[in-house]
Amino acid sequence: MKRFFLIATLLLCASRAFGTVDDAIARAMEAIGPYVKQGYIVRDDEWGGDLGVKEQKAIPHTLFRGNDYWFCTGTDVDSAKIAIHVYDSRGKLVENDSWQKGHFAAARVSAPATGTYYIIVEVTSSPQERTHWAMVYAYK
Amino acid sequence: MISTCIYNFVSTVPALRVVLLAAGLGALAGQPASADTPPRQIDLSRFPATRLEDVVVPLPSEVFNVLDKLGTPDWKGELRVPTIANRGPRPQIALLLGSVVAEGFVAVEAKDREQVKQIGRDVLELARAIGVEKTVLSRTNAILTKADASDWRGVRQELDGALTDVKNAMIELQDAQLAHLVSLGGWLRGTEVLTSIVEKSYSPDAADLLNQPDLLRYFQERLAGMPSRLRHNQLVSQVEKGLAEISPLINQKITPASVKRINEITGQVVRAISSNA
Repeated sequence: MKRFFLIATLLLCASRAFGTVDDAIARAMEAIGPYVKQGYIVRDDEWGGDLGVKEQKAIPHTLFRGNDYWFCTGTDVDSAKIAIHVYDSRGKLVENDSWQKGHFAAARVSAPATGTYYIIVEVTSSPQERTHWAMVYAYK
Repeated sequence: MISTCIYNFVSTVPALRVVLLAAGLGALAGQPASADTPPRQIDLSRFPATRLEDVVVPLPSEVFNVLDKLGTPDWKGELRVPTIANRGPRPQIALLLGSVVAEGFVAVEAKDREQVKQIGRDVLELARAIGVEKTVLSRTNAILTKADASDWRGVRQELDGALTDVKNAMIELQDAQLAHLVSLGGWLRGTEVLTSIVEKSYSPDAADLLNQPDLLRYFQERLAGMPSRLRHNQLVSQVEKGLAEISPLINQKITPASVKRINEITGQVVRAISSNA
């Protein structure tokens, strides 16, 4: 029995140390949770991958004028820092609000016009070479 | 590729998603957060970021959410009874599935309970015809239950979810091309309805909803990249031709005349999808 617990503990530690994409998704979902209370509808889908430090990923998305969006991101690495921002097709920062808290970050945009926007995710610091990230969004 | 690996994760474990959302409720709210200082302007010609391969295709409810705020169109007048009996090969079924889901949104706006329920059953039948029935069974059951309860917002979410689940199931079955056709079928019927409404009561704000050139280009690129056996399908060719006609209309100022023309083109293509072209 002791042996079982030892193996289970080791497996748990290993999974925490290396993290998984599932953890990144869980973090992104955790970040978006509060906005559900505010009437936002969470899209049942997610985007993600892995990034090096200071590496960015742009997600092109058609946003509709009249909708208000929250884009939330999370990473599986506890001590990593991640950021998310929204730019329009001319490269202008258009978000109305944003916050960053360690391995969580979010940005809100009330689309000023219908068109293509770029949601840019960046791992700003991490002890690991590659860091898993995930993004989810909600709208109302 | 990790992006692909995680793509389906939460969608296929809805219960886990609910738990994660519940855990998040209030957990972060109210905690101090720092605001980093992003550049106010970036040069897109020297884009600092690598792009995710695909654009995000918006859900139909994102468009209908805006339409809700534009007044009270005659939704019953826009509603059509989908014909799913004339089913042809898989590309047609995929396009039809997308357009039927879009019709579901119109039925929700019209608050037509019986039509919403029929569309739920049609979605199930089309999913069965394409081999992804199990994926949408719980969604279609929920559509029937929520329609009975007049939970229109809930029905919308289930329709969105059905669309996502079907597409993800097709991707898992290595049938990404058909998944694109499902999205395209939904976009075509959604655009037909949108242009019909905008045409009846034109305003620049409403016409602005059609400003989707990158999304259109994305669909065109997906069609262009399809294997020849699919591209040579008569219906797929017709869809490709329709998109080529719409493209210049969307890539300029959207006038009442261009709205009318886009409505005609999408109408023709949607009719072809429903008539086993």
